[in-house]
Amino acid sequence: MDASASWRTETIGERAGGIRRHAAATAWVVALLAILGFLVVYPVLMLLLGALTDTNPVIDGFGVFRLSIANFIAVLTNPNVGDALVNTLIACGGGTALAVIIGLTFSWIVVRTNTPGKRFIAAVSMLPLFAPPLVAGIAWVILGSPKTGLLNTMFKWMNLDLRVDFYSLSGLIFVFGVYYAPYVYMFTASALRNMDPSLEEAAEVSGASAFATLFSVTFPLIMPAIVSGMLLSFIVMLGIYGIPAVLGAPTNINVLTTYIFRLTNWSPPLYNTAAAVAIILMMVTGLLVWLQQKVLTGRSYTTVAGKAFRPRSLDLGRWRWFTFSLAIVYLLVVVVLPLLALIVAAFRKFMFIRDAASLFDMRQYSLMHFNAIFDNPLTLRSIYNAVEVGITTAIVGGALAFAIGYTIHRTQVTGRGAIDLLATLPVAIPGLVIGVAYLWAWIGLPGGLYGTIWILALAFIARFMPDTVKVLSTSFLQIHRELEEAAWICGKGMLGSIRTVILPLARPGVIAAMTLLFVLAIRELGSSLFLYTSNTMVMSVLLLDYYEGGNLGKTAAFSLVQTLLLGVLIGLANWLSRGAAQTSVGRTG
Amino acid sequence: MMKKMMVAAALALGVSPALAQDFGSKELIDAANKEGRLVYYTANFAEVEQQVINAFNKRFPNIKVEMVRAPGGQLITRVKTEAAAGKLAADVVDHSDRALMAELVDLFQDYAPPNAGDYIPEAQISPKLWPRATLVWSIAYNTELVKNPPKTWMDLTKPEYNNKQIGQVFAASGGTTWTRIMFERQVLGEDYWKKQAATNPVLFPSGAPTSDSLVRGEISIAPLLYNAIYPKQKDGAPIKIFFAPEGAPVNPYATGIPKTAKNPNAAKLFLNWCLSLEGQTFMIKELGNLTSLKVAPVYPEGFDPKVVKVWLPKFDEYVKYHAAWVEEWNKTYGYRQ
Repeated sequence: MDASASWRTETIGERAGGIRRHAAATAWVVALLAILGFLVVYPVLMLLLGALTDTNPVIDGFGVFRLSIANFIAVLTNPNVGDALVNTLIACGGGTALAVIIGLTFSWIVVRTNTPGKRFIAAVSMLPLFAPPLVAGIAWVILGSPKTGLLNTMFKWMNLDLRVDFYSLSGLIFVFGVYYAPYVYMFTASALRNMDPSLEEAAEVSGASAFATLFSVTFPLIMPAIVSGMLLSFIVMLGIYGIPAVLGAPTNINVLTTYIFRLTNWSPPLYNTAAAVAIILMMVTGLLVWLQQKVLTGRSYTTVAGKAFRPRSLDLGRWRWFTFSLAIVYLLVVVVLPLLALIVAAFRKFMFIRDAASLFDMRQYSLMHFNAIFDNPLTLRSIYNAVEVGITTAIVGGALAFAIGYTIHRTQVTGRGAIDLLATLPVAIPGLVIGVAYLWAWIGLPGGLYGTIWILALAFIARFMPDTVKVLSTSFLQIHRELEEAAWICGKGMLGSIRTVILPLARPGVIAAMTLLFVLAIRELGSSLFLYTSNTMVMSVLLLDYYEGGNLGKTAAFSLVQTLLLGVLIGLANWLSRGAAQTSVGRTG
Repeated sequence: MMKKMMVAAALALGVSPALAQDFGSKELIDAANKEGRLVYYTANFAEVEQQVINAFNKRFPNIKVEMVRAPGGQLITRVKTEAAAGKLAADVVDHSDRALMAELVDLFQDYAPPNAGDYIPEAQISPKLWPRATLVWSIAYNTELVKNPPKTWMDLTKPEYNNKQIGQVFAASGGTTWTRIMFERQVLGEDYWKKQAATNPVLFPSGAPTSDSLVRGEISIAPLLYNAIYPKQKDGAPIKIFFAPEGAPVNPYATGIPKTAKNPNAAKLFLNWCLSLEGQTFMIKELGNLTSLKVAPVYPEGFDPKVVKVWLPKFDEYVKYHAAWVEEWNKTYGYRQ
């Protein structure tokens, strides 16, 4: 065979292979889009359908479906929805402002000052992300109730004329602010670390004080990071149910999430109206996500140049002990006080505390509430279920996120933009709304999904898809294409190169994504509320049940059990993934 | 011959055949044991129902009761939605709001316990649905905080208890509360709500958080379902409970077995036991319920039938007035839905 003939056969072969590859790629993209459509688009459409009709599509069938915007009109003209919306904006707005102050302060302290114990402060700044919102809310009920709060009891004992009332919008703002500050911290700390200090030096050479430099140069330069963190913490607060549910209930303060839940709780329940409120909440969130994208891509804030630099460290002198004490105060507020409150409530027989002396009366303490919760077979079952759902979510969701991440970042197939969009969409859907949407979407379908742990797992996979893909993407981007190309040259196919090159190299990222999913899934409350059945009761739902069942002792005891379990799991996860899972553990409600 | 031997064996074991008969035939018990489980939907509190299940399991240890507890409105939606999709998982549905259950009566199968004739007919809205639990309203106060306790329903309108000392469950929360506010209006007077609302009470979504708040001292006095507060008094909480002389509003539940029940025998046995003298006595003594049996085996602590008049709403009015009166109550108490 001469050379040209051999060349010709090769091209024919290549072309046939190309067509085959092209067909395979198309099938692959279609399959991924179908899965995402099934997981994300279909439930949202069902929700929209429910909001646009006055019948229940499941009970009445689609035959009597009447398109009407009556629900939206009813919702928009209902002054209570307006109130809930205003409360939501005040609580999340105020909370975000506080989160920015706290997050920015700590990122500056950690990155730019010589405050002692910076590693410790950095860890403390991230800690609140791991507290389930309902647990945080319950702890602050025990601490901050106007009549019986432990803080007020202590103030009285110290003869201080000081009283706090957390059953209020300001209480809500405070708890939101301190627990969601890590979002701002995450963004601003890395921006400060990557910033070239030459501009600051220039400002100081021109005679500006350190303080003036901070506000006229440093903060304006990292503005995109501040805005990103701000918008993200706002979005997360919008979707939280646990905190406003417990702090707002005693004084009848509603936000959108608690209002949606109440609508479904009345007799008769108003699911269509709830769907309409949910759509409004989704639109507000969607708008903010869009805004965040716009801020991130709109202008150039390049401060990182090609030359190497070290971030400057400001010598605070004696003031460094002041900045250190700020971190201690924060630790006290987000961890120590709430934990003490939960311990008191969990071990105390009754939460009637006459005065500070009675608080230390050891005869009042016992293991009664722990015995009671472990006497209830649902307790162990809910822990078992939560772990089972967590593992299912982690494995299936991790595999799917891997497929999506690989397709988006390592291939050039057409349609990957749509895949990216659909995988990011759930960011804009609060957990509670996903729960309602999934209930409507799945119960009507034949087959056994409803009542199994799969409906919970699928809802969680959809809900946390953006977080998982994000964590995985980082590790994909770190692997150079050369390595894959080398595998191809050595005769490996695409699957072969994934198996021999990508998977081993991306392993820490994959493990991080899976452990993240696992932790997120066992914490999740909002979307579980509508999807559990007798066999699939999970921990977070049972905790709410204990709370609504009106026994603070048992609620606190189970909160401690859950906190301990989460602590162990997160420790394990961290150890497995070497810290990579820390990025977004807080987005659950 | 076989039967005689069994009776002899039963007598030898100290089990009276008459008592065994209370819960159903041997065939039923065998079939129930074979099914081995049942799914129980209830609107009552999980903690309370767990005790009922434990007591039932002392007698029938081989039948596992899987409980789904949800607040009234959610439970009804769950039943309706699941039934429409052909996926109703419940073998027993137990609900506090008889009006909501009345709409679903077609979902349920014919059922009557062995002691059906012992029950007050007015407590039932359908021959298929039974008053498994009968709850009664009382008034409770925190003894550490209230030095001059109220003695009647009318006392709850006194200005000395104003400014958030009293806790109230709001009207729309469900069947039991609706019974209480009907009682207040029909027995205590058309203007009772107005006078009571003038004390500026704290409003709660249900009885459980109200009783917890009372124990903690967030509020000092509250009308409460006896079974929501009695267990806490029993455990030693600083609480006193009394039944007021004007009357004790009573709300019988409506409980039935769906036609689609997968474990109908276990369901029947469970309801037979709950409705039996043993089951009702347990619920009165341990949980603080009343009973809809014509002759009550015992009364809860502090309840003297010679002094306290039980008040049962007329069912047609219970259905007819609901929407309008709840709305009026909301206005009077400034509670906005």
